[in-house]
Amino acid sequence: MLPLSLLRTAQNHPMLVELKNGETYNGHLVSCDNWMNINLREVICTSRDGDKFWRMPECYIRGSTIKYLRIPDEVIDMVKEEAIVKNKGRGDSKGMRGGQNQRNRPAARGNFGGRAGKAPGQGGGNRPFQKQKPKQ
Amino acid sequence: MASGLDSFVNHTVSIITSDGRNFIGTLKGFDQTINIILDESHERVYSTASGVEQVMLGLHIIRGDNVALIGLIDEELDNRLNLANMKAEPLNPVVH
Repeated sequence: MLPLSLLRTAQNHPMLVELKNGETYNGHLVSCDNWMNINLREVICTSRDGDKFWRMPECYIRGSTIKYLRIPDEVIDMVKEEAIVKNKGRGDSKGMRGGQNQRNRPAARGNFGGRAGKAPGQGGGNRPFQKQKPKQ
Repeated sequence: MASGLDSFVNHTVSIITSDGRNFIGTLKGFDQTINIILDESHERVYSTASGVEQVMLGLHIIRGDNVALIGLIDEELDNRLNLANMKAEPLNPVVH
């Protein structure tokens, strides 16, 4: 089971988040992403020493600042195995990227080629341009 | 992706974090950044004044950045330990 699948399953559940600086945030998980960035609602922030408290309706925590998350025990039984779906998604997206790149490159070359091909044909257009240059 | 951690899954492990804490629990999963799912976990708090204190914690996700060491626990040996009589200096945090 992947930690981020468990975190996704924990959406709408209460949790405790401890940051690397020792502050803790208690709240309900609203959303999370693949970087462990999280949105909490109805948050109580506790200072490192546990002597100061702040209440806030909502907060957003950057994933890289998290030390650990404490999640209700029952959440682990609710995780659906998303591994297959996710792999399919990744495979598709890789294919898509490859496809787009392959499409873009020849198109780009085609455009440049087209311009290069036209330029000699517009020789008449080039000459006045060259004539203008010495004038300026 | 092959990882030495595969063989630890569903076993009891001891995790030492870079802030010097020691978590014990069942390894339920991990990912490429060594984020860890630790089930039925507890923390062992060491001190020189009294025996090892165990704090029940439950289900945890520990972020990989914070993991210094993951060790497989021999449960039979671990059960024989008399933690109440063990005294030890707490670990210092990792200095970056």
